[in-house]
Amino acid sequence: MRQVRLIWVLAWKDLRVEYRSRQAFLTTLFFALLILIIFNFAFDPGSPATREAAPGILWASLIFPGVIQLNRSFQAEAEEGTLYGIVLSPVDRGVIFLGKQLANWIFMLAIDLFILVAFVVFYNFSFSWSLLWIVLLLVLATAGFTAVGTVFAAMLSSIRGRDVLLPVLLFPILVPIIVAAVNATQEVLLIGEFEFFEKWVQLLVSFDVIYLAAGFLVFDYVVGE
Amino acid sequence: MWLENSKQFLATASRLLKVSGWMLLPLYLLIVIALWGAFLYAPLPDRPGADPAAIQALGDVQRIFYFHVSSAMNSFLAFFLVFIGGVAYLVTRNEKWDAFSAASAEVGIFLTTIVLTTGPIWAKPEWNTWFPWGDPRVMTELVLLLIFIAYFILRASLPEGEKKYKFAAVCGIIGFLDVPIVYLSIHLLRTLHPVVITATEIRLDPMIRQAWLMALVAIMVLTVVLVLLRTSMRLHHRAAQEMRQQLRERRARAA
Repeated sequence: MRQVRLIWVLAWKDLRVEYRSRQAFLTTLFFALLILIIFNFAFDPGSPATREAAPGILWASLIFPGVIQLNRSFQAEAEEGTLYGIVLSPVDRGVIFLGKQLANWIFMLAIDLFILVAFVVFYNFSFSWSLLWIVLLLVLATAGFTAVGTVFAAMLSSIRGRDVLLPVLLFPILVPIIVAAVNATQEVLLIGEFEFFEKWVQLLVSFDVIYLAAGFLVFDYVVGE
Repeated sequence: MWLENSKQFLATASRLLKVSGWMLLPLYLLIVIALWGAFLYAPLPDRPGADPAAIQALGDVQRIFYFHVSSAMNSFLAFFLVFIGGVAYLVTRNEKWDAFSAASAEVGIFLTTIVLTTGPIWAKPEWNTWFPWGDPRVMTELVLLLIFIAYFILRASLPEGEKKYKFAAVCGIIGFLDVPIVYLSIHLLRTLHPVVITATEIRLDPMIRQAWLMALVAIMVLTVVLVLLRTSMRLHHRAAQEMRQQLRERRARAA
């Protein structure tokens, strides 16, 4: 029980810092919106082909800002030296990982939801209850994304050139998440039949479980001296 | 202790070198046998119902398959060794395991490159496409190659030291864990959008199976020898670095 509270304390600290400055949140959100809009111009706006590609566009415009957020989540800690403070506190390193991951997860989800609304408007889909299935996908995919991302971001926080390194390390690992999320979104938005939806969700859940467990176990080696 | 680490590295390195030296002759023999098996012993696959022109066109290109499939299977072995080396390093903190991991990753990249270059040569006449994006095995190989190129980019951006070995080990472990998930995701994708592959049916002759087994064993031994050689090389390199460092310190103290 104490562990759960500690995770929440850590996550709450990060979220409060984000809430007080708000600048990061708005910038990341704006960046995501820009990607969404640029894709609309890069393809023929309003054409059926663009509509076909819409699920891919949605996920691309969530992944890129996500990387920026992950980089930032350890940048401030490393610059101010607060990471030492956290690492030195008498808390299991795995718990620190879960706390950081939870904060990133909630932060990303907040952005994801705004982007989903903008996406439905820009790409002319309708607001219906079936969007809740996409919210489920957002929750699951973002969990896995931030699980791997938090490990790598923590690792790279002390390295020069981390801004480029993070996507280089992260994107190949994310291939299954992107495949699963894009195809499941396609079923919800375009096909309207949930033939494989359950399978994709299972895949996302197993990715989450594997990488949350792996992150919990290896985080000690990533931040400890 | 004066040159303590270097001595240890050199001892292990020369032991590995000796072992791989002993394996060289059998390796050469196995490769010759595998080449003989693939090009002379194995018949062309029987394609019931295909017209002779097609059989002629697809003919000898198929022989690339012996090395293609064997390299693919052994690339998984090599990346599994990266994983093993990574776990062993994190548990023992012995630098030798890092050298072993990095060497296995290099060999893995070498084998995946073979797979991804021989594959298209075969796939173009057989499936009429250079790169079948929907094939789970091809995609897994591609993602593995990307992950382990990133692994070396990470290594290159860190100075020698415990931190580098720890991070590389973590990266290797996380990368290897992705393999089954990538495979499953593309497998599922394929059931969703069936790839149109215009292949004639292939019946596997027992002689083809035997020739393939020869290639598999030859490349497996090649993998092991290369991993041992590269590990030994990396340890020699580490020993030299260590010695230079200690000499510099000693000179500075004397001056």
